[in-house]
Amino acid sequence: MVGMSLLRSAAGIAARLSPLKTGNAATNLLARTIPRTEKVAVRWGHGKKMFVIKPTEYYDKRFLRLLKYYVLLTGIPVAIIVTSVNLFIGEAELVETPEGYEPEHWEYYKHPITRWISRNMFDSPVKDYEKMMAAIHIEKEKADMRLAQLEVRKHMRQRGDGPWFHIETVNKELIDTTPKATPDD
Amino acid sequence: MPLDFNKDAYPEPPRQTPVVDKQTALPNPALILSKLFYYSVDLPVTTFREAVDSIQAKNKSVYYHQKFRRVPDLTQCQEGDYLCYYEAEMQWRRDYKVDQEIVKVVQERMRACHQREGSSYQQNCSKEIEQFTEVSKNYQLRYGDLGAYASGRKCLMKQKERMMAAAQTQNA
Repeated sequence: MVGMSLLRSAAGIAARLSPLKTGNAATNLLARTIPRTEKVAVRWGHGKKMFVIKPTEYYDKRFLRLLKYYVLLTGIPVAIIVTSVNLFIGEAELVETPEGYEPEHWEYYKHPITRWISRNMFDSPVKDYEKMMAAIHIEKEKADMRLAQLEVRKHMRQRGDGPWFHIETVNKELIDTTPKATPDD
Repeated sequence: MPLDFNKDAYPEPPRQTPVVDKQTALPNPALILSKLFYYSVDLPVTTFREAVDSIQAKNKSVYYHQKFRRVPDLTQCQEGDYLCYYEAEMQWRRDYKVDQEIVKVVQERMRACHQREGSSYQQNCSKEIEQFTEVSKNYQLRYGDLGAYASGRKCLMKQKERMMAAAQTQNA
């Protein structure tokens, strides 16, 4: 017991006196001295170790992490689909329209994805054209009817011989003309 | 360029490969560089392209060029016939697009000629230059300052102004 403490104190004195000597550093276990931090062998370590105080990067890193996640969530499948379509199903070739053949509306486009969208999601351009013409026709009929109504209104108000602009008057049979029937009343 | 371009509009320049007359034993650096380029860039790209083509050859599809019927013009429409107006307007828009593409093709020919001739382009491609100036002048006269909301009616009114100006200069 006493011998141990002697050994320990001797190791401690040796460590304090010449701390850089290799044998003395191992005596930390015996000496219970705190090793000087800048003197401990550390990989990549040179210079005084600093505790850098900087503002939190948590929110910024979280934003960038979530941004990358949500962009890649649909970005990667779309990239894979488009790449595989371009590699395995190529673009169409331009040929002359054969005699007597009416191509479908999607057969006028080159890229396979455009063709697919045109076939499954859009109406044919002919149908769109006809829809627009139908809308124009309906609006034209409405405009014509409104003009005709104004014209009719003008005439009926002027001439008074039509069903509009009637002012309800009392029935002639209900008038009692007996007080003024003869000139002597 | 697509494979079926007009060979007369884009003539190939005469080949100028020199006769090889090697007088030294030193290696030719141009040859070394061209071989390097061939093996590092040309060969991988060509093999990849051929592989992709062989895969795509199984499901090959075609597309056609749509031809539209001619419909009556704006000048041949009755007044108040909005359906006729719409069809004439759509036809005018298609013709506008076609004219833009025509100008682009003529411009492309002039630029190709410029590239081919190098410094002597002004005297060697006078035909292309003259064709381009005429086509772009006519385009400017017809569609020039119509703007983003251009329509068949505005184009017709511009034509009317042109005709009136021409009549005035003729009378005066």
